[in-house]
Amino acid sequence: MNITHLVMIAIGSIFLNNFVLSRFLGICPFVGVSKKLDSAVGMGMAVIFVMTLASFVTYLVYYYVLVPYSLEYLNTIAFILTIAALVQFIEMFMKKNMPALYSALGIFLPLITTNCAVLGVAILNIDSVWADDGTHYTFIESIWNGFTGGVGFTIALVIMAGIREKLEFADLPESMKGLPIAFVTSALIAMAFLGFSGMKIM
Amino acid sequence: MDIGQILIALVWIGLLGAVFGAILAYASKVFAVEVDPKVEKISGILPQANCGACGYPGCSGYANGIVSSGAEINLCSPGGKDVVDKIAEIMGVAAKDSVAMVAYCACNGTKENAKNRFEYYGPKSCSSAVFVSGGHKMCDYGCLGFGDCVEACLFGAMGMGEDGLPFVDDGKCVGCGACVKACPKGIMKMMPKGAKVYLACNSKAKGKEVTDACIVGCIGCKICSLPKTTPSGAIKMNGDLPVVNYDIEDTLTGAKYKCPKGCFYDKGDESKSEDQIAKEKEDFKAEEAKASEAAKKAALEKAAAEK
Amino acid sequence: MNFIQNFTKGFFKENPVFVIGLGLCATLAVTTSLINAIGMGAATTFVLIGSSVLVSIVKKVTPNDIRIPIFVVMIATFTTIVDLSMKAWFPALSSSLGIFIPLIVVNCIILGRAEAYAFKNSIWDSAVDALGMGVGFTIALSLMSGFREIIGSGTFFGFPLFGSGYKGPLMMILPPGGFLMLGLILAFINWNRLRKSNKSGGAK
Repeated sequence: MNITHLVMIAIGSIFLNNFVLSRFLGICPFVGVSKKLDSAVGMGMAVIFVMTLASFVTYLVYYYVLVPYSLEYLNTIAFILTIAALVQFIEMFMKKNMPALYSALGIFLPLITTNCAVLGVAILNIDSVWADDGTHYTFIESIWNGFTGGVGFTIALVIMAGIREKLEFADLPESMKGLPIAFVTSALIAMAFLGFSGMKIM
Repeated sequence: MDIGQILIALVWIGLLGAVFGAILAYASKVFAVEVDPKVEKISGILPQANCGACGYPGCSGYANGIVSSGAEINLCSPGGKDVVDKIAEIMGVAAKDSVAMVAYCACNGTKENAKNRFEYYGPKSCSSAVFVSGGHKMCDYGCLGFGDCVEACLFGAMGMGEDGLPFVDDGKCVGCGACVKACPKGIMKMMPKGAKVYLACNSKAKGKEVTDACIVGCIGCKICSLPKTTPSGAIKMNGDLPVVNYDIEDTLTGAKYKCPKGCFYDKGDESKSEDQIAKEKEDFKAEEAKASEAAKKAALEKAAAEK
Repeated sequence: MNFIQNFTKGFFKENPVFVIGLGLCATLAVTTSLINAIGMGAATTFVLIGSSVLVSIVKKVTPNDIRIPIFVVMIATFTTIVDLSMKAWFPALSSSLGIFIPLIVVNCIILGRAEAYAFKNSIWDSAVDALGMGVGFTIALSLMSGFREIIGSGTFFGFPLFGSGYKGPLMMILPPGGFLMLGLILAFINWNRLRKSNKSGGAK
């Protein structure tokens, strides 16, 4: 297990290449769910959970089903099938075994199925190649990428929700209210995160 | 065009789909959640305001709570007695009485009564203003008047008065407690619907500090809590601020008239004329005088008898 | 509604990006240059038409409760076709659009139209609607990327407008610029709508 790689993934997915603010994955829930802090945290938790599990299962599907039979080109179809089934399964499992968690997070789960972030991280895990030794992500690195990607998403979402709650009281021109000011705010947050670029670990 | 490749692709994707489908079909049986028909029925009679007063996440959450975890059936204040009775019928238990509560504003720091320490130009919200050294009122515990409580009310039972204090319409208030949660200073409190008198001050400070900030603030003199004033013991001091125990039946008229600052507000006075209010005060004083005379006489007679 | 209305509603009145608010991920990510925008728009339109038509063809035999996964697999198939075609015939465009070509499958516009329109209408109507929405999407992308490319890198379709020494706000083609541009365009649309309703709604 290459610890340097894991640290680089963490810093990369949370700060340098934040899934929302830098890679533009997961914008729809980002502007849709970020009006209240509570729902933002709930959505974030659900996304972390799904992204981690999805990375887990899609890695297995890719390297044990698609690659051995030279079916790599079918990865889009296979992954989306996997993710849809996984989210459905999680929803059923949570509804039965964790009703409290289900009532907190459950409504966000169907939203996550078509979330670019989940399919995005699955594809990124497959496509990414390390610059230092030319290898693809290992199993642990893929799951870790899913987890930290979700954490980065949650951080951006929570920052956004906090700001939007306060923006409710601001004196805005009528045409800026709602989505426009939300996007301008995201622009400023994205600018702040740009400041992390150039961070080196080694 | 390698037929073999096409077949392999079809087979494997088909297999993947079939396996997932089978897992999901199995899961839908194993993880099937049986919905008790009682939950549906109870959910149907609840007011669907989803205010959270019962302590459960929304009305469906409360319905579930009642059926599966035996929650008390009298927790829905907006629903009132009607709902409690209906739930009792469905669950087959005896209906319990629930005390209807209403909210009140424990502050009388109007624009005239209370001083400001500075001019505040920030966002017009109590939760924002409180970050600026605790707000612009000189009294640390006083109402800032931006109406976060009014915003929070889902039932249209609150409004902001001209004097800078929120008011509650008892007729519309269902006792959900949203305003209590919204107030960053803890000024909104709950009392039983029938009770008339409440303490209109939240200041835990005492003496000169209070009078410098507000002319109607509680100075912590403790007169209201004395057995002479309130023999029932309904008022107890918590530090320098009295606390009323509404479980003890008491009209609290003693405290109302004896408080040197007039901190106790009587809702009954709203429907009376100025003359009537003054007359009642005179009557009370006369009664007090008579009672103390009678007590003095009795004490003298007792002392004489012992001699 | 007739053919013209059905076709043109996706351009402005029911523009999927600016009015309905779908497909925002792609809008923000690929609009760094006009060529990318038009390439993405064309790819998405192809997938839209293909999937809408296919959904409309099989609508009578699709079981209702599992229709969403069925739609998604159909959309994924067309996306794979587009992905492989672009890798073969437009490799430069394919590598600059990167991960967003396979992500067409989760573009809410496609599933949204399949669910809201193609499942309930005839094959021809679905095809026209899909084409209209696709063109509307391309218009939206082109508008965004036109501004971003001209302001950010001083070029138009790759042709330098202000001479080769242009040092404009590079931020416009970086992520913050995408958010900012979208916010301002939405604000303009709101302003326009309010102005129109104020004029017709009487004095305020």
